[in-house]
Amino acid sequence: MLLRLWNYIKGYVIIFVEGYFLEKFVNICTRRQIFLWDIKKKKNSAMSMKVSIKGFKMLRPIARKTGCRVRIMGKSGFPFVLNRYKRRKTFIAGAILFVFLFYFMSSFVWSVEVNGNEKVTTETIIDRVYQLGVKPGVFKYRINPHDVASNLMFDINELSWVSVVVKGTKVKIEVSEGVERPKLVNKNSPCDIVATRDGVISSIFVKSGLEAVKVGETVKKDQILISGTVPIKNQEDNPRILHAMGDVFARTWYDARVPVETKVFEKTRTGRKKDNVSLVLFSKKIDLFHRNSPFVEYDQVNIEKSLSIGEDLVLPFGLVIGRYYENNIIEKEITLDEAKKTAVGNAYKKASENVPKDAQIVEINESFIEKDDGQVTAEVTIECLENIGYEREIGGN
Amino acid sequence: MSRKKKIIKKNKKAQVPKVSLKEKMSELLELPKDIVLNVPKLTMVGNADLLIENFKGIIEYDNDKIRINTNSGIIKITGAGLRIKEITSEDLMVNGDISSLEFLK
Repeated sequence: MLLRLWNYIKGYVIIFVEGYFLEKFVNICTRRQIFLWDIKKKKNSAMSMKVSIKGFKMLRPIARKTGCRVRIMGKSGFPFVLNRYKRRKTFIAGAILFVFLFYFMSSFVWSVEVNGNEKVTTETIIDRVYQLGVKPGVFKYRINPHDVASNLMFDINELSWVSVVVKGTKVKIEVSEGVERPKLVNKNSPCDIVATRDGVISSIFVKSGLEAVKVGETVKKDQILISGTVPIKNQEDNPRILHAMGDVFARTWYDARVPVETKVFEKTRTGRKKDNVSLVLFSKKIDLFHRNSPFVEYDQVNIEKSLSIGEDLVLPFGLVIGRYYENNIIEKEITLDEAKKTAVGNAYKKASENVPKDAQIVEINESFIEKDDGQVTAEVTIECLENIGYEREIGGN
Repeated sequence: MSRKKKIIKKNKKAQVPKVSLKEKMSELLELPKDIVLNVPKLTMVGNADLLIENFKGIIEYDNDKIRINTNSGIIKITGAGLRIKEITSEDLMVNGDISSLEFLK
């Protein structure tokens, strides 16, 4: 196998030898260190064999000596392929240029990828990395991944581990976030615990300070729940001011109203579409034959395609296809029950947008209000149990 | 009877000096004979491939018969579809359906 590959690279000639002293011909060839292979007897006085190009040039005197006739049956191997392309200078220049350009282009960074972040947004990390000099178009050998990683660690405190790897034309940043350090309570700064929103107190637990509200009491926003000002007996003018601490849980309500509509506009795609193609070259967008949407009602979707070889060798070329889908809008009448259902669903979505993450949902109430003109409105109320206390410094101290 | 025996003895005596000093030495020192004595080394894989090292030249080549001159006589290979796969000044590789191998003195 290896020998055959070597023979192909060196190039060889398939020859047809005719004559009466073929054995003599072969013997002389071997004695003169001409390597022959694949010798086959064809007829009584002829055989075919393969010989290297170098060996072939030495055959003439031997053929004359033994009275054999040598004919070339075929040429095979890399040198002959090369010879065929020798005259095509532009082709060779193109091939060389391609290799060179390919190498040149792949020595730049064309994309930055961030993985593993949860709290820190990808944008902040990428922003930081761009400032550190790692951005598309930068010579990749100039990047010191170790430096970038340690600088990133310094700049973004939330990160506990960073790895920067340059792979192909892509910079892969792998991060791991540390557990946030618990907030230090500065007991020297006096404060009150006040309500973040309206609600009904369901439980109150004071660590320090004076309870200002009772369980079951309705509180308004910014009302003091736990007071940091503790009066001392016999010294009413000079109360003790301390840092109030505690948890205050209250029932809170979030509601939203959505009118019930029995008439709906339904969007369906007609199947007709129009593409606007843009070429992306080195983060510059070039529009090709752009036209405005030919449709009255349409959705626009942007499809981005970037050229890459494998996963890691991203090239700075790409396409953006702005695709318009034509829509058909049909006015439809639906039953009241269905309309109510969708209205409740929308209202719930609207209401739950305001519910904080750590709140515990206790109850969901839905009701319908009918006005005099027959317009029905769906109302959804979400009852939650949440900690409404937050610290507010006592001013002036 | 005794005369016949004598003849045989004579023959034996005549044959003994044929074992050369080189051969004795190579036997004694366990040296490879193909190097010391300049005799061919034949390697055969099944009946399809035959590698002859240390040969002198081809005497006859045909599809069904090959004769090769070596230091230990002429080797005659018969078979079908015989082909010389490789030939250099030291070794020769025969490929084909080999049916017999003979040493002709």
